[in-house]
Parts: sequence; C-alpha cells; structure tokens
Amino acid sequence: MKISLIIKQKQVNNHSHFIPWQQVVRTQTGLRLCPLNTLRLQISNLGHRYGGRKLFQGVNLDAAAGTVVAVLGTNGTGKSTFLKIVAGLLTPWQGTVSLSLDGAALTGEKRRHIIGMTAPDMALYQELSGAENLEFFASLRGLNPDTAMLRSSLEKVGLKGRGRDLVSDYSSGMRQRLRLAVAQLGSPRLLLLDEPSSNLDAAGIEIVESVLNQHREAGHIVLIATNAPHEMEWGDVHLQVAQL
Amino acid sequence: MSGSLWYQQAVALWRKDLRAELRTRVALGSMGVFALASLMLIALSMLSLKDEVFVDALGHSHLAWDNPAKMALLWVLFCFAAFAGLSHSFVHEESTGTAQNLRLFMSAHAVYAGKLFFNFTVLGAIMLVITPIYMLLTGMQVGGIMVFVPIMVWGGMSLAAVATTVAALASRAHTSGALFGAIGLPMLIVLLVLIMQAAKLCYSAHIDTISIVKDTGGLLSYGILIITLSALSFHFVWED
Repeated sequence: MKISLIIKQKQVNNHSHFIPWQQVVRTQTGLRLCPLNTLRLQISNLGHRYGGRKLFQGVNLDAAAGTVVAVLGTNGTGKSTFLKIVAGLLTPWQGTVSLSLDGAALTGEKRRHIIGMTAPDMALYQELSGAENLEFFASLRGLNPDTAMLRSSLEKVGLKGRGRDLVSDYSSGMRQRLRLAVAQLGSPRLLLLDEPSSNLDAAGIEIVESVLNQHREAGHIVLIATNAPHEMEWGDVHLQVAQL
Repeated sequence: MSGSLWYQQAVALWRKDLRAELRTRVALGSMGVFALASLMLIALSMLSLKDEVFVDALGHSHLAWDNPAKMALLWVLFCFAAFAGLSHSFVHEESTGTAQNLRLFMSAHAVYAGKLFFNFTVLGAIMLVITPIYMLLTGMQVGGIMVFVPIMVWGGMSLAAVATTVAALASRAHTSGALFGAIGLPMLIVLLVLIMQAAKLCYSAHIDTISIVKDTGGLLSYGILIITLSALSFHFVWED
C-alpha cells in the first residue's frame, strides 16, 4: 500500500500543459503509476461511544490515494460506526478525521461531494424504481442523469433490464447491487463500503471486486468494513477496530 | 456550496417526494380524509347555526356565524390537516433509513428547502380543493380579494413552514406524534392570530391600503421569519 516512490513527470497534453506529478503505488498486483491527486485520509486517535458504552478508541490511519483499507473487527465493535464517522455522518467522541486533496483540507460540500458510501442500513426508496432512485441520487450529486447514463450504471452492477421495476420488488441482492451503483455515482474519490458483498451471489461479488479494482486504479481510497474472509483479502491494509 | 447545486438538490428532493407521494398518496390521503371529514362535521353543525343572531352587551345584534368566524374555522381545519399529513415526509425518511443517504448527499439547507417546497405543494393542493367546497357549504364569502388572496397564499406558506420545521424536530424524536403537537402549538397560535386579524380586515366595509399592508404584511413577515429561522437552525436538528 505504501507510497514507495514519487516521481516528478512532465508530460505535454493537447493543450501543452504539464501534468505535474504522478506516484508509484505498490498494490497486490505490483507497482503501478497513478495520478498524484494526493487524496489523503488521516485518522488520528479516533474513538466513539454510544452513551456510556465505548465502542473503540485510539484508531489511527494514514491512507493515500489508491489504497483499499479493510476495516476488521468482530460484530458490535463499531466498524459501521467507524465508516459513518469517516463519511461525516457521525461526530466522533474523540479524535479527528481529516481528508485532504492536493494538501488542502476538504470540508463541507467539497468533502461531501467526493464521498460515496453503501451500508446495509442506508435504505433506498421502495416506492421508486431502480432507475428513479439512481436518477434522484445522481441529481443530488450535481450530475445530469440521462437515460444512457442510468442504463450504463445499472448494467455495471448487473441490473440490466430491471431499472423500471420498483425497488420494493427487488430481492435483497438486487438492492445491494443498486446501493453499489448509487455509491459510485460521480466516481467518488473516497468510497466507503460496509459489508459490500452481503446478500450477493458469486457474480455480484465479482462486480464488487471489479469496482474495487477500478477505484484503486483511479487512485481513489476505498474503506471496506467486513468480516468476510474474501473481502478481507481485497484490502491492501488491514485496520483492526477492537472493542474496548 | 454553489447556488446552482443547492437549487438542483432542493428541486430533485421536491420531485422525488412528489413522485413518491403521487404513487403512495400517504400525505394527500391522510390530509384529504381528515379535511373532508372535518368539512362534513362543520357543514352539519352549520345548518343549525347559520341564521342564529346574538345580541351583545351594547344591544347590537350580530350573526353568530359571520365570515371571520367561518374563516377561523377553515384555518383550524387546515392546521389540523397539515399536522395530520405533512409530518410524513420527514418521519418516513427517518423511519425507513433513507435519511442517511440524504445526509450523505445533500446539505441541510437543500433538504429543508426541498421538504418545504413539497409540503407547500401538498398543502396548496389540499387548500385548492377544500376552500371552494367549504365556501359552498358554509356560505363564506371572499370579501376583499386584495386581502383574501394574501391570506390564503401567505397563510399557506407560513403553515407549511411551521409544519416542516416541527416535522423535522419530531422526526428525530422517538415520540414524534406527541412532540409534533407540543412544539407546533405555540407557533400555530401566532399564525392563527395573524390570520384572524387579516380576516377581520378582509370582511370589513372599509379596506384601505395601509391596513392591507399592515395586516397581510404581518402574515408575510411571520412566514418569512419562520422560514429564515428554520433554515438557519435546521442543520442543528438534521445533522448529528
């Protein structure tokens, strides 16, 4: 996972501008070059509690672009809570989470705009169809969702031809696929996946793995909260969230 | 946050809520049934009161059921109908877990604006249907049109704003139903007092411009005040 080398590379594109930096990142498949957009997630001494019950404490992480982090821990240790804190949905009891792009801290709308997340308790609108759900969330991202884009998003998660069906008629696996499609809208640089392959069949699990690889290649950061052995293997880094 | 994205998000939420409402008709159904049932009860009670006259302490005789009283009852009906149906939009998001997605994708201001537009649309639809039927059944007159229209539009806007704000607060509480009434009552009392003042002017013999500005302006100001304060403080309620 670690950035082993940073090289300054000058390239000239069509507009004769320099592409300033690229970085070499070591992944499971070896070294590779990815854009140095220097997205960086730094978590320092993070802790959380619900009422009097402490979940976790002293969690630290420094993840650079192109990293997939597997967040591990037994049931109830707070993996999902950890992801929600990183997403900005919860305020931590202690510690800090900072997200920066090109050295500049991201806050508010800029931060929200680069985060995609899927979790079992993040529900979709049952009374709308799959395509309508996607269209709604794409609009919230500031995208202009046309039919081709919606169709392509649905195809990527294996829901081709099911876009017009109401989500209430979807199976649990199909809903999980749709959640994955929603999380990827706008190609977020920080992707948070809570048990991403739950309820999925073998083909669905392959889709999740493919999504992870795409984001890794694009130099994004991915956090996966999981207990499943195959999901643990996807992580370049393992982060243990332990119950106190 | 850019203004265009804020606007796009608010409109997208309004469209989504409207689409879902037209499919499920939860808010429209509950408000419509409540309003129509109340309308029937009012109409039946009116039959015996319609021509009753009472004499006040100074010896002047009045109709027991005059136009301002009819207007007051109409707004009491709207208030109960609004509180019966408008809380749904927020409570439903929280209870089904979709609120998490909204928090992830949207700013608090855009959520408030989207929900306010939707509640105003639903309340407006109910008012458009109920008001003519009520006027037909009770004989309530329009009075001064320059006052009547602002009462209905700005009163509806204020009521939608109050209901949206209280719904947001109530949706975060476990006892949402009880809280909805408890928090909403003080805000509604002020609104109803302002509407009654404007209603008196609406049916008075002499309607001058200064009175129109004073009475309907108070109603407009209250609506703007509620919307502004709610928008500014909404993120405290909405975010963790």
